[in-house]
Amino acid sequence: MKITDLEYLKLPKWRRALIKIAQFFISIPKAFLNLFVKIGRFFKKVGLAIGREIKDIILTFKNGDWKTRISYVIMGFGNITRGQVLRGLLFLLFEAVFLFFMFKPTGGLYWLSMLPSLGKEGPGKAYDPIYDTYVTTYNDNSFQILLYGVLTIFFIIAFIITWRMNVKQNKLAQQILDSGKPLKSGKDDLRSMVDDNFHKTLLALPLTGIIVFTVMPIVFMILVAFTNYDGTHDGYSNALFTWVGLENFNTMLGIGNGTKVYAATFGEILLWTLVWAFFATFTNYFLGMLVAMMINKKGIQFKKFWRTVLVMTIAIPQFISLLYVSKMFAQNGMVNQFLQSIGVLKGLDYIHFLDEATPARISVILINIWIGIPYLMLIATGILMNIPQDLYESAKIDGASGWKQYTKITLPYMLFITGPYLLTSFIGNMNNFNVIYLLTGGGPTNAAASTAAGSAGYTDLLITWLFKITTGAESQYYFASVIGILVFMIVAAISLIVYNLMPSVKNEEDFQ
Amino acid sequence: MKQNENTSLKKHMGIKAKTRVSNTIIYIILVLMTIIWLFPFVSIVLQSFRGGPVKGMTNEIIPSIWSLENYVALAKTDFFRWYLNTLIMALVVSVLQTVIVLCMSYTLSRFRFKMRKGLMRFMLILGMFPGMLTMIILYRVLKDLGLTQANAVPGLILVYVASSGMGYYVSKGFFDTIPKSLDEAARIDGATRAQVLTKIILPLAKPIVIYTVLTSFMAPWGDFVFARYISFGASKGMNVAVGLFNWLSKDQINSSYTMFCAGGVIVAIPVTIIFMCLQKYYVEGVTGGAVKG
Amino acid sequence: MKKLIALVLAVAMVLSLTACGGKTEPTTTAAPQPGETTTAAAPETTPGGTASPLAGTYQIKVWAPEAAVELTKKQINDFNSSNTDGIKFEATVEAVSEADAGTNVITDVDAAGDLYFFAQDQFARLVLAGGLAQLGQGAATIVKETNDAGAVAAASVGEDLYAYPLTADNGYFMYYDKSAVDAAHLGSLEDLIADCEAANKYFAMELENSAWYAISFFFGAGCVSEWTTDNDGKFIAVNDDINSDKGLIGAKGLQKLVTSKSHIESSDVGEFSKGAAIVVSGPWAYNDAKNILGDNLGAAELPSFTVDGQSYHMGNFSGYKLLGVKPTTDAARSASLHKLAQYLTSEAGQLERFQAIAWGPANKAAQDNAEVKANPSLAALAAQAPYSKVQGNIPGTWWDIGKVIATDIKDAADEAGLKAALESYNTKIQNVLKIDTTGFILVGAWNDWKNDDEAYRMEAKDGAFMFTLEVPQSDYMGGRIVVPGDWGTDRGCLIVTEGVDLLDQVGDPNNSDNNIVFKEAGTYVITYNEAANTITIVKK
Repeated sequence: MKITDLEYLKLPKWRRALIKIAQFFISIPKAFLNLFVKIGRFFKKVGLAIGREIKDIILTFKNGDWKTRISYVIMGFGNITRGQVLRGLLFLLFEAVFLFFMFKPTGGLYWLSMLPSLGKEGPGKAYDPIYDTYVTTYNDNSFQILLYGVLTIFFIIAFIITWRMNVKQNKLAQQILDSGKPLKSGKDDLRSMVDDNFHKTLLALPLTGIIVFTVMPIVFMILVAFTNYDGTHDGYSNALFTWVGLENFNTMLGIGNGTKVYAATFGEILLWTLVWAFFATFTNYFLGMLVAMMINKKGIQFKKFWRTVLVMTIAIPQFISLLYVSKMFAQNGMVNQFLQSIGVLKGLDYIHFLDEATPARISVILINIWIGIPYLMLIATGILMNIPQDLYESAKIDGASGWKQYTKITLPYMLFITGPYLLTSFIGNMNNFNVIYLLTGGGPTNAAASTAAGSAGYTDLLITWLFKITTGAESQYYFASVIGILVFMIVAAISLIVYNLMPSVKNEEDFQ
Repeated sequence: MKQNENTSLKKHMGIKAKTRVSNTIIYIILVLMTIIWLFPFVSIVLQSFRGGPVKGMTNEIIPSIWSLENYVALAKTDFFRWYLNTLIMALVVSVLQTVIVLCMSYTLSRFRFKMRKGLMRFMLILGMFPGMLTMIILYRVLKDLGLTQANAVPGLILVYVASSGMGYYVSKGFFDTIPKSLDEAARIDGATRAQVLTKIILPLAKPIVIYTVLTSFMAPWGDFVFARYISFGASKGMNVAVGLFNWLSKDQINSSYTMFCAGGVIVAIPVTIIFMCLQKYYVEGVTGGAVKG
Repeated sequence: MKKLIALVLAVAMVLSLTACGGKTEPTTTAAPQPGETTTAAAPETTPGGTASPLAGTYQIKVWAPEAAVELTKKQINDFNSSNTDGIKFEATVEAVSEADAGTNVITDVDAAGDLYFFAQDQFARLVLAGGLAQLGQGAATIVKETNDAGAVAAASVGEDLYAYPLTADNGYFMYYDKSAVDAAHLGSLEDLIADCEAANKYFAMELENSAWYAISFFFGAGCVSEWTTDNDGKFIAVNDDINSDKGLIGAKGLQKLVTSKSHIESSDVGEFSKGAAIVVSGPWAYNDAKNILGDNLGAAELPSFTVDGQSYHMGNFSGYKLLGVKPTTDAARSASLHKLAQYLTSEAGQLERFQAIAWGPANKAAQDNAEVKANPSLAALAAQAPYSKVQGNIPGTWWDIGKVIATDIKDAADEAGLKAALESYNTKIQNVLKIDTTGFILVGAWNDWKNDDEAYRMEAKDGAFMFTLEVPQSDYMGGRIVVPGDWGTDRGCLIVTEGVDLLDQVGDPNNSDNNIVFKEAGTYVITYNEAANTITIVKK
């Protein structure tokens, strides 16, 4: 539907809104397409860059002097002979450590060689007639092979990058010396660490931590999705695990023959996760804003007190309060018994707060308001105070009612400023483990899903299901991993689309 | 003229009455909210003072027998060991994590280097993986280092601190609001980058430093999932959340619930007090984070 | 700033201290080797104290439920002073509930307690997960002789024993509030429900969350549900007739309770303080219940329910708690641990445990003890015994399948709905055993004629099925293509269209199964075209 600006402005408001919504959906496929184009471009860029690097490496060797050439094999040789002893020694040390690690017995080469099979010999059991007892011998450890295999690959990549740096540095040093200028000394290097290269110093520690304790585990867990690693194939104590290709994804998504229970369960839980995230985000958002506005209203006393009461609830760990709340809403909990005692409910009648599918879903959303409002109240308070007061003054002069002021000034301002926050909080709610786990534990049980791993319930989110599978009866880590990857894909898709559609993905430089 | 004055007066009166009505409604709502929000906490505090043979959950709010026995009983358990563990974790983590978050956010806010945009995007993507996924592997890695079960405390500190660089977002938003001209002026005066950070920026960043310390101090008190997975089967290595959580298991809840409440109160008191004192900074942090989101 | 530095220093110190503390921690794996492991003398015959090959100090970790921690510590000390082999254990006893032990062990067998208490329902999983060490012959004989038959079955896979029976009290019965329940109505489920509804009291029994309790009604109606494993602990057969007329009777009984307003979904005696008159639970809850109800606490066998004028006494599982020994690599350590486990589960050990924490013994001699017989909760369990079924080995997924049957029955509007619920249950349990019968596999000498061997599954490719088969040298190098689990002979040598020259015995009357018999060992690519029903064989 093509429409000119003028025609658009002439339309009644609701039509305009409809057109906007329609445009949003129309642009989704385009956004997806853009995404793929971007990914394609990214790989092309990477490919070209690698090509350039290789060319440069060859040229450097061709044009380099003997010092530079020796540095191709003995890292840091050029630096040392040219007077940059500190740098050179560091390069040399790194190379020595790398070679030692790779070639020592059960070192890098061993792990790499075992990686395709993930181990050859599982544990064995033998009867010892002397002691009349059974002893177990443990052999290969699939988990360790996978872990150290991944580490070795990381190490090799790091080595290649360092080696490349070494080549580049030699080229640079040679060029500088050729042009007759002096080289930077070790002292200069140290000084630049707190000055020109200060960012590298600052980032070194945090990034190392992230690579070792976030990136590597994620890479590792992605790999687990392609194995049969579970409680009875733990790779060491009972049986080795091995690569199974896409089998787990096929089971989970119901591709190919076999049971579709997983696909159905996954679909149902995903749908509920999205519904939950939507309601949990927006109920909190609007009610939190409302509460903030009520407290901030002129003429309301004890502002600080109201705020403090709400904020106090943030300070107390959720596992203490939420479990109590969940018991309050049980069939014979405080709330039902109170309602019975005042005669709202007759006899043993009760409200199915947490023990039937739909009521339980509504209940968790409502109880989540109890948790979420304090945060939103704080955020909204901060933002509301920043809205220029003259906007309201002029609106008042124009005779705008309170409601109009809200829809014309407050809401658009809030939405504009908190757009990115809404997105992050939507994603946060998709992964909101505590609330669901502590309130319902995912229950009530979903009969149809009972044969899928982890026996999912009606209020289970993907993340709580993942947890159940991980710690549950069968410990099917590979399914947990598959779900984790799928959650990532969904979250990434949502974020990318929303980010690209947001009216102004703010330019961060604007604020400085 | 007179009539005119009259109507305007009436209008004025109308607005006043309306305001009074709406304010009253707001007060009623706020009082109700206060009750709803505080009810669970007050109940838990009251339960912690419940004496008598019944130690499980009940529906009574005000105890029929008042007693301090639950607090006394805590001393006979490992509770204070868990408490100490958590306190150590909270202190160490809050210091180290603050340093790391500040390094990260300051760098990303102030420096313009080649990989900056790529790095930020990479971390955004990393953040989209559900953290629970890595629980198993982190357990194995820590186990290889000998930092699980009884030695879980340093292990947990390591993991909390190591991954804290990912949470740079809020404080980067804060640094973004400090004008860059300040840095440049200092640089012209011959200060190194490091001096700019320590002499100029840090003093200005007090709110965000306190915010970071506060949030990282609070986190270990409530972690009952990851900490439980790392320290299972070894009371020595548990944090207070894991220890208390175990008292709610089926076989212990009827003998330990009131003790759980007492423990919960002891956990909540210092955290709440610190939180109340530093609330101002927390608000600044949260607000800043949301705005810059 | 100074303060900050001081704080950092302090923290660093604490850190290094904890780290050091970690290092000095005795590691459980560092067991001292006994001097002579090659002596031919069997350790049992070694006379008291003199150089038994087991003598030594062992650091061990024991997982026991909170209630049993102190007692277990004491018992280990007693063992240290009383054993004649010179074994000395330095034990740390950690509180790990017997319900969680299985999950924790499976998370990391290596980090598990050397000895651990666990509930029977986890047994099958633990064996598969390699978390249990098999008992030696001497130990197995003693266990078999001294414990009741159900206990032995509970700890066995096939003929082999993998755990020591600790208690025989893992069953359930009815706790009730004497002030709220008419003693004359105790025998009838319908009367009890009516009483509860009239008095606005609750009847607590876990049905929708636990197959263990829900099965009660089906056992009452005379159903059976038994699983069989092979010697590796893998489930190979099930005998379950819940999907039958008898099952329907059970379902009708279950429906009466689960649809009553007075029913609450719980097995926690804590419900007594929240308005419950009846809680179905087990002996472990006795002390907690006593604390709440005092003298008003009653314990009785489960009631009967009436369907179509006939009355059926509700049944139950009689289960066991077991003591497991973690597998070890060191024979002496393993033997010593088994000695300790024997001691802890001996008649004396079980009686002592009964006296301290009222756990009902599994040992036959201990069961005959007068005190044991007089215990009210154990007496109720004993009264229930004629209606109980031994809880054998049950696959982990059954608990998930079985628990939803109550929900399905609750939602069923009529008899057809009930039948559908039972039908759905039956399909699910059959699926547990079911092998994937799609596609084809190669069965033959190369895989010992296993007709469900997934390793020899043919790969679907371009509308045909393909497999690269390695045929090792042997006297008979034959086999054929079958549907998994089937022995059909129509996909054999007679439909081979290409590569017949590689085969022997084609059309031979002795080869009545039409096996594809290779002339020589080697690697063959076998392709089966299902539509044309032809096989082609190419030698690589």
